[in-house]
Amino acid sequence: MIDISDLYVAFGGLTALNRINVKLDAPVVGVIGPNGAGKTTFLNSLSGFVRPQSGRVVAFGTSLLDLPPHRRARWGLRRSFQKEQVVDEISVEDNIGVVLDPLGLSRGEREKALTAAFEFAGLSGLRKAKAAELNAFERRMTELARCVVGAPRVIMLDEPGAGFSQGEVSRLRDFILGIAAFNGAMTLLIDHDVDLIRTVCVNTMVLDFGILIAHDATEAVMADARVRAVYLGVEEAA
Amino acid sequence: MSFTRWPRQQWAPALAVGLAALATIFLANGLWMKVLTSVAIFTLTAMSVALLYRRLGQISLGHVALMGLGGWVALRFSHGFSLPFELNLLAGGVVAGLVGVALAYPALRMRGLYLSLVTLMAAGGFSIVVNNTQFPNGADGFLGFAVRATAYMPRPVLAQSDAAYFIYCLVVTGLGFLLVHLHEAGKPGRAWALIRRSEATAMAAGVNVTLYKVWGFALSGFLAGAAGALLAGSLQLLDAHSFPPADSVMICALTIVGGAWNWFGALIAALLFRLAPALLNDWGLNGNAAYIFFGLALIHALATAPRGVAGKLEEALAAGNRK
Repeated sequence: MIDISDLYVAFGGLTALNRINVKLDAPVVGVIGPNGAGKTTFLNSLSGFVRPQSGRVVAFGTSLLDLPPHRRARWGLRRSFQKEQVVDEISVEDNIGVVLDPLGLSRGEREKALTAAFEFAGLSGLRKAKAAELNAFERRMTELARCVVGAPRVIMLDEPGAGFSQGEVSRLRDFILGIAAFNGAMTLLIDHDVDLIRTVCVNTMVLDFGILIAHDATEAVMADARVRAVYLGVEEAA
Repeated sequence: MSFTRWPRQQWAPALAVGLAALATIFLANGLWMKVLTSVAIFTLTAMSVALLYRRLGQISLGHVALMGLGGWVALRFSHGFSLPFELNLLAGGVVAGLVGVALAYPALRMRGLYLSLVTLMAAGGFSIVVNNTQFPNGADGFLGFAVRATAYMPRPVLAQSDAAYFIYCLVVTGLGFLLVHLHEAGKPGRAWALIRRSEATAMAAGVNVTLYKVWGFALSGFLAGAAGALLAGSLQLLDAHSFPPADSVMICALTIVGGAWNWFGALIAALLFRLAPALLNDWGLNGNAAYIFFGLALIHALATAPRGVAGKLEEALAAGNRK
């Protein structure tokens, strides 16, 4: 469970997150909202790239805001970025294994974790390939494998499905749905693909202008009149 | 057929370097032996510049000054404590490595042009200091310099002659390559690769960005300092005018021209820096003419060949491989 209280982030005069209070407790939680609603700022404050002016984030008993970003990652907070961040010059294996480096695993444990992650991400055949040789979807899956390898506790995915075909998004959906069974981690998913959110997220939170306007079971959120007005669009008006 | 598992673009340059080294040992006379020894030494410096550029994306304009510092320390230890050459070499490397660490601190806050300017300032500062203190030449006192003193730095026991010292420099430079390779193939290499992609990515993957940046600068400084100590051993004394900031800029530019992404790019940089002007002089041309060519080559490399001459060479060899 992630217990977020009074999370407040402002950039100069712009309030990006306005006193967010929420308890996230589901295997996959969706984060939706219009552009500029504060979704990425929300992930960035959890990652530590943005320092909130106030607030507390307690994830599974650990106060995340007290840790520097790389310590949060070692604790088990992983994330992918809107623009994938795979490094061309090194192998796919190194791109994924880098996350395990600071954890002090034995050679056997490392090998086991890597093999499992490669299999889970469907990349087993590409393990020794240079990342520069991958196509866009394989690059995205490499980044996602970097998020799931080992023993993460919270995985945050920032629009992983953007720009992919139906078939690829469907593989992505199976991947995200499988994370909880694979390593027991909790996933936060930002995406604009409402179908993807509907099918993988048990609960969903909705942000609008930095304000949390809804957090509930995904179906209930999608039916919420306010959410429809600010984000999904109202059919009658269309 | 025995080379099928080892692609030509990797073994061909190694073979060429080996043959050239052998030819040098058997054929070169005193002057050219000195020039090629200096090529071997500056290969180490170019490698240390390339390491920073390739792995941390930083351009250092101060590495010849770090060489000078390594040389100063090696001479100081040599005259002061009569230690074996290897220990003087290590001392030069370690002190330059520590200065590298000091340079890493501004690098934590700034990058690109601004950091390069800091390294250039450091090079300028070193030049002024060393022009006033001179290099130790066996006199008393901390600075160890006197106008009339002329003690030479003893060379390694095993490498007294010029030819043996040339091989010694090749071995040390080879060990430098090995040290860099071991880093790049392991944890630090992966951490540096992510830092170069973006610091946010590196942090999100649990990389301690501060630690690995400092480490990269320390390793790079160590290699440059060791190169300076080798240079001190080659000439057996050093001249304060031999380490101008302009040379730091030049070796950095040539490292990019030679190719920062291949091991033999550093060698190409050193050949351009030391051998090309010497050849031009030998042919009765002004060796400084090479600098005009270097400027054009840098513009060309930045515009069309970001991996430098070595990158182009590798592409050509790899293309031949597929036929």
